[in-house]
Amino acid sequence: MISRFIEYWPVLWPALAAIAVILAVVPFLGLYMTFIERKVAAYVQDRVGPNRVGPFGLFQAVADGIKIFLKEQLIPDHVYTALYFIAPSFSLITAMFALVVMPFGPVATDYKSGFRFMVAPGIDIGILMMLAISSLSAYGIIVGGWASNNKYSIYGAIRSCAQFISYEIPLGMSILGVIAITGSLNIEQIVKAQSGSLLDWNVFWQPVAMLVFFTSALAETNRLPFDLPECEQELVGGFHTEYSGIKFVLFFLAEYTHIVTVSFLTALLFLGGWHFPGLPDPSGASTLVLALGLLVLLAKVSLVVMVIILLRWALPRFRFDQLMGLAWKGLIPLALVNLVGVAIVLTLGLPKHLLIATAVLPILAAYYSAAKFNASLESDNTLRNGIQPQGAVSYE
Amino acid sequence: MNPLPIDPKNLPLVNGDEFQGNLSQILLLVILLGTAAYLLLQHGLVKSKMMAIAGAALFGFAALMAFMSIPMQLEPIVRMCFSILAVAGAVAFVTARESVHAALGFATAVLSACGVMFMQSAYFIAAATMIVYAGATIIIFLFVLMFAQKSQLQWYDVELKNPLIAAGVATCLLFAIAWSVSEPGEILPVKLDLTRPYSLSVPGPAPGEGMPPVPDPTMSPSQLAEFTPAKTSGLGRSMFTDYLLAIELAGTILLVATLGAIVLAQKPERDPS
Repeated sequence: MISRFIEYWPVLWPALAAIAVILAVVPFLGLYMTFIERKVAAYVQDRVGPNRVGPFGLFQAVADGIKIFLKEQLIPDHVYTALYFIAPSFSLITAMFALVVMPFGPVATDYKSGFRFMVAPGIDIGILMMLAISSLSAYGIIVGGWASNNKYSIYGAIRSCAQFISYEIPLGMSILGVIAITGSLNIEQIVKAQSGSLLDWNVFWQPVAMLVFFTSALAETNRLPFDLPECEQELVGGFHTEYSGIKFVLFFLAEYTHIVTVSFLTALLFLGGWHFPGLPDPSGASTLVLALGLLVLLAKVSLVVMVIILLRWALPRFRFDQLMGLAWKGLIPLALVNLVGVAIVLTLGLPKHLLIATAVLPILAAYYSAAKFNASLESDNTLRNGIQPQGAVSYE
Repeated sequence: MNPLPIDPKNLPLVNGDEFQGNLSQILLLVILLGTAAYLLLQHGLVKSKMMAIAGAALFGFAALMAFMSIPMQLEPIVRMCFSILAVAGAVAFVTARESVHAALGFATAVLSACGVMFMQSAYFIAAATMIVYAGATIIIFLFVLMFAQKSQLQWYDVELKNPLIAAGVATCLLFAIAWSVSEPGEILPVKLDLTRPYSLSVPGPAPGEGMPPVPDPTMSPSQLAEFTPAKTSGLGRSMFTDYLLAIELAGTILLVATLGAIVLAQKPERDPS
């Protein structure tokens, strides 16, 4: 056993080091994203935000962490104890497990030995594996909601079920076009195909795919426009009503991990990953180039994270029928049309940049649905909010 | 430095010959598991705690027996743990009184089976199973179960009419599976050749061609290295050449099912009067 261990050490240590990086960085990131979120929220609302603990309030996150660890363990009488404890940890496990196949820095596709910014490089089905694991993240919420044995929690869990099932379909469909043209499911290969000029980034010929992917991935993170499983005004706290202290934090650590994953995936699949015009390919490159690539990737990721945080203060929450309608009547048809476009381009051998024309699709869809909504308003006797318009005649 | 310190000679042949037991051991295992199934499937699922404990103990003993007859290496042991977890999840699925627990047992069984597939390098099928079963099907089950939740269990939820027949059928199935698994065939690694009209999943020569190349111990390591275990790209190629008809038929069935669902979901038209 020991001799085998030594024999495998050269291939083992990069994976172990990458796991260590993920385990160390993710909780830290979760803590500080709450801080960033509070600061951004404060500036959006013309406040100052946390500024008392440490310089610029930087230690606020640490203070929050200590406070939450020292909180009393409160277990309500009526919960199903085993599942009640499993649920938060399961949701964090799935959130972190998805990072196994995600490159968090420049990875060369020749997979030379040494540290590689990735736990499991060279997996054939990379992106599929990612989708498979993230499809499990619903279990934490559902089991937690059910085990809390509380009406509000169960409503949260049921909403989460419906939301996950619906939004998984556009999530998978939107990246099919990218996969079809790249010819690989491997995330490193997909990034490699975007090297070269700026126009090689997937976003410049798959804008609809990026929109659909980002929206449905956001829905899977339960962030604000899509936070119906926990919406405070209707369900107290939704699935986490009965959770407090560290168990509550595990749920939210999982949510922030999801945000990081979504941002990384958006940057890797659509924004060129670690590539930037003028920066050489990571294979055989020096440490400086690798560090630059890492910086480029992290800059793109933080841009996407900032968009996600700002969206929270820009968009109101959906109503449930609007949520379902957006997935089934909006995103899935858009993704399908986009896929048909990719198929046409591939079959006829046309240049793939013709697909930039699909960018008009969401605009057309928005125009069409707005026109339809207005028409339905005019044809109704009553407005949606139940107020009788002046001079309206009832035909009943 | 060689990135993978694996002897290429060990790479090509994938054998399923890890189980080193003989026929009597297999028989004993099957009988033990069958008895455990019977004890766990008493009237009213698990009627008494003693029966449940006896069944679980028998199951544990059978697992231990199977564990003893695998070679002491890391991979078979991890695979064995996944297998035991899968069977335990299946047992929980069948014997649980609470329907949500049953669904979670099913999820455990499916995920552990995916673990076994990962250990066998069947990445694509494992990921597909995770997405389709664990990610979608069981979540829909849970959705329905939570909607239809009721406080009292009905007699038909727990009463099992004839546990003996159920356990007997399960034992026969188990024996058939154990029998076919104990004499494994070889899975030949193939050379992915994009010029061939058919992939190599069909044994024997493709129409108009000679026999496909097969790895041979006399070959040099560099020649052997050209043979790789089947990969996702090979699977895709095989699906859209050898099994094209089956894929198209499955697609047609799904399309018909979708149309049926749309028709069923339509609201009845309102009476104009």
